[in-house]
Amino acid sequence: MFVTGKGGVGKTTVAVGLALAAAEADGEAVYVEFGDGASGRRLLRNRPNGLECVVIDPSRAVVKAAASVFGSTMLAKVALDNFAMRPLIRAAPAIRELGVLELARQVVEKHPGKRVVFDMPATGHSVAWLKVARQGRELTGRGPVHDLCARLEEELISPRHASIVVVTLPERLVLWETLSLCDTVEKEVGLSVDRLVVNRVPHALPAGALDDALLLSKSPGPIGEAAQELAALLCVRDAIREQVMQALDDTVHRYGEERGGDAGLTLLPLAAKDPTAATAAGGLRSAGAA
Amino acid sequence: MNHPEVIVCVGGGGVGKTTASAAIALSLANSGRRVLIVSIDPARRLADAMGVELGTQARALSLDSGSGQLYGLMPNPDDALRTFVEFLFEEEPAAVERLLQNRLYQVLEAAVPGIHELAAISLTWRAIVEHEVDAVVIDTAPSRNAVDFISYPKSLAKLLGGRAVGWMAAIGKRTSIVSPDDRMGRVEQLLVRALGPVARDVAGLFAEMARVRKRFILLNEHTSKLLLRPETRYFLVASSTAAARDDVGYLIKKLGKLDMTPQAILLNSAFVPEREWAHVLEAASVTTAAIDEVLSTLTLDREARQRATARFTKDFSKRYPNLPQVLLPFVEAVEPRSIVHALAQYLDFPALVASR
Repeated sequence: MFVTGKGGVGKTTVAVGLALAAAEADGEAVYVEFGDGASGRRLLRNRPNGLECVVIDPSRAVVKAAASVFGSTMLAKVALDNFAMRPLIRAAPAIRELGVLELARQVVEKHPGKRVVFDMPATGHSVAWLKVARQGRELTGRGPVHDLCARLEEELISPRHASIVVVTLPERLVLWETLSLCDTVEKEVGLSVDRLVVNRVPHALPAGALDDALLLSKSPGPIGEAAQELAALLCVRDAIREQVMQALDDTVHRYGEERGGDAGLTLLPLAAKDPTAATAAGGLRSAGAA
Repeated sequence: MNHPEVIVCVGGGGVGKTTASAAIALSLANSGRRVLIVSIDPARRLADAMGVELGTQARALSLDSGSGQLYGLMPNPDDALRTFVEFLFEEEPAAVERLLQNRLYQVLEAAVPGIHELAAISLTWRAIVEHEVDAVVIDTAPSRNAVDFISYPKSLAKLLGGRAVGWMAAIGKRTSIVSPDDRMGRVEQLLVRALGPVARDVAGLFAEMARVRKRFILLNEHTSKLLLRPETRYFLVASSTAAARDDVGYLIKKLGKLDMTPQAILLNSAFVPEREWAHVLEAASVTTAAIDEVLSTLTLDREARQRATARFTKDFSKRYPNLPQVLLPFVEAVEPRSIVHALAQYLDFPALVASR
């Protein structure tokens, strides 16, 4: 399961939440993050026994993964760890991404039958990660890199094994970007997006609150003035909520209808403090997303 | 040309970095400066916050007041590589044609992290000269790797100047490129075997890039002048969450490796300004159940935000005692533009910098 979305949308919280829910339902699950492992440590302080955490360090992925291309770690070192290739690998991002994907594939291979949740890196276009295997296969035509890419497509990114969860925010711009991301994933990666999680959807105002405030603001004196301030704030909140619901309706719901009914949409509520992974797991479970 | 003052905002995703950058730029322009704001954030937020359209040209923006000027530059990520290549090969149009035919280039065109930033820097330089601005505010990508691109042209120039390129380009000249042959060294044989026929495209790309080594060095000078002069001011932007704190810590370390120290951290939506009217209504006996519910939610949210900010600032002061913290209010508005304007009023950036 690949959890993707742009930076700051709460992707990691959702990914950890899904991994927790999977560990609870199946008894076992794996959470994979890319980078220094800080988010897993932060969100999984009370990690249940069945949940394994794996950290993939992109900066060391290439030489590690290349062993499977060149047949041995020693040959990989000869080919890649030299004066010419070191700066090339540092400068060419696609190579690093292939390396990372290969390590991801090895994690899946090591845990047959378990659900593996990948917290994808928040690069501008995280979908580029998923495209790189196909591009590499088509580009090389044959040879070990070609075989590596084909294996990634077959064992990691194939619709038979993989599902995609996209986390987004209820803002028009972000939603548009998300939908074009979904299109790209479908057309260029060949995977369909199984679920959209819209995070931080503002609550509706309590019924009648705005009307009550408007009514009260007609009364004279300091109470009336105070009620005017309240009414002004509630008007702003109401308009923001209205805008959010409109944007959701215009984009996400229509997106679902084009695909025949349920787009697999989950809304998580806005809170002053972001939810913990356990709360998110509960929210996702009750919304049927986990 | 006098060198413009350069301000760079860095921070993780979702912390309101674009809003803070736009507020800084607007505040400077309101005080009479000629300001250029550049967003490298591919999320198109600046377009939303300031009404800038995507494009390779900087556009003039409207101001609240004052005699200054504000220009916005928001390069389109989809054109980034093409823009970049056109900049590099300005003097060699034939090479552009050859590159467009290169299969590796065609793949790279789809998406290469880092190229967008470099394209944006070359466009920024052009806009500075064209509009004679005296301050530049750069809103970097919402990522921990946002500053990686700074050292990218340098390492590319180094790569292109080293033995590696001549060696790679030579592979392209060999006739039997598609299969390893005896004349090749061991490393070459391994590479050609691993890559297959595409080795020729790789080698071709390097041969072209080697031709523009001088331009890479020029680009490196541009990025260094904009981003690595001791006078360049870095501002961290965060919100009061543990994730944002970790991102900022990571960025401080990265900036340290570039010998840069941030000026201050701007903490977005750090507090809700005191609402006197809420106390008036709480004390009144004429409110309804719905109003009471709203009032208690407002108080709870306000307190939660206060607690989160207190936790953040305490922890941050312990780790970075010498780094000033600027707390920004939580502003609620329908239009992103109104939030930027409110923050620009609150921030008074020239005074903030002068006080340091």
